[in-house]
Amino acid sequence: MDFPFIKEAISQLFSKSSCAMYPAVPSEAAPGYRGRIVYHPELCIACGMCERVCSGNAISRSVEHLEDGRDKITLTFNLGSCTFCATCADFCTKHAIEFTGDYHMVATKEEDLLVRGSFIKAAPKKKAPAAAKPENCSAQVQTEASGVKPREDGKPVNDQSRCVYCTLCAKKCPAEALTVDRTAKTWTLDEDKCVSCGTCAQVCPKNCIIMG
Amino acid sequence: MFKKLIEESTGRSPWLFHINAGSCNGCDIELVSVLTPRYDAERLGFKLAGSPRHADIVVVTGPVTKQSLPRVLRTISQVPEPRCIVTMGSCPQSGNVFRGSYSVAGPLSKYVPVDVDVAGCAPKPEAVIDGLALAAKILKEKRGRMK
Repeated sequence: MDFPFIKEAISQLFSKSSCAMYPAVPSEAAPGYRGRIVYHPELCIACGMCERVCSGNAISRSVEHLEDGRDKITLTFNLGSCTFCATCADFCTKHAIEFTGDYHMVATKEEDLLVRGSFIKAAPKKKAPAAAKPENCSAQVQTEASGVKPREDGKPVNDQSRCVYCTLCAKKCPAEALTVDRTAKTWTLDEDKCVSCGTCAQVCPKNCIIMG
Repeated sequence: MFKKLIEESTGRSPWLFHINAGSCNGCDIELVSVLTPRYDAERLGFKLAGSPRHADIVVVTGPVTKQSLPRVLRTISQVPEPRCIVTMGSCPQSGNVFRGSYSVAGPLSKYVPVDVDVAGCAPKPEAVIDGLALAAKILKEKRGRMK
């Protein structure tokens, strides 16, 4: 009688298993793996860009007004709704969102899958209302609380107490009429170039650009 | 004596039933890789059952579409108690990128109590093994409570 492969079969009995013996032997994620999100609230400026680009609506922001006039801003990342596409981390200019190699995201409650972080935003410096282009202000008062009034000629005006200088308005302006300097904290409008299209007000994540 | 033996053995080998509720197939492939020789969950006792009536753990993938919802509920109701429902990936937990679509009826927790959530899109096979181990533990507790 002939037994084909009998030598092979017996040697396989004593050879090492080719399985990944996972729970006994811990395994690391590959480099560049996008796992659990780590949020660094101390770097965040709450521009809201991550919220806008998130395809799974996994990021939410809540603002709590403290007694001393400052705001406590909390960002919540719901890993149960996340696609782990890392678009939020790519768009974050401050690198406050980080994707780690931690893939152990197993929970019995929804609460366990939330990544939270909060920071206290310093109170905006009070400026004299005269600084906000008083010569062009109309009598119509829409945003009295911020002290910025819409202009009569239909061109945009920026409420600089709320502006985070994310430069998105300048990037999106079709007429290239806006210049934003992040370090000097200036927002300047070239009135000759501006076509009053309202794109800047539409894209502003802080809604601080007001059209006339 | 036989009763004790059966109890011991069922606790060690929970059988899975996999429901695809409109998944993109990413999670399904990861679940298959858990059960095939590379990760081989069968060495831990997890075996894929062909019928929901044989299963202990139900693994649901996909955002639960309107078409699949009645089938999902009917299949889950056929799984005998005690059962453990595991959602795999972000879709059955929240709808993920399909949230708000006219054809999505999810999340699954609106219709049935979910025991374990495995997050990820798609989760790594190791994370699925972790989730199944937790489900087996919960199943054991449920069985103890039923006595």
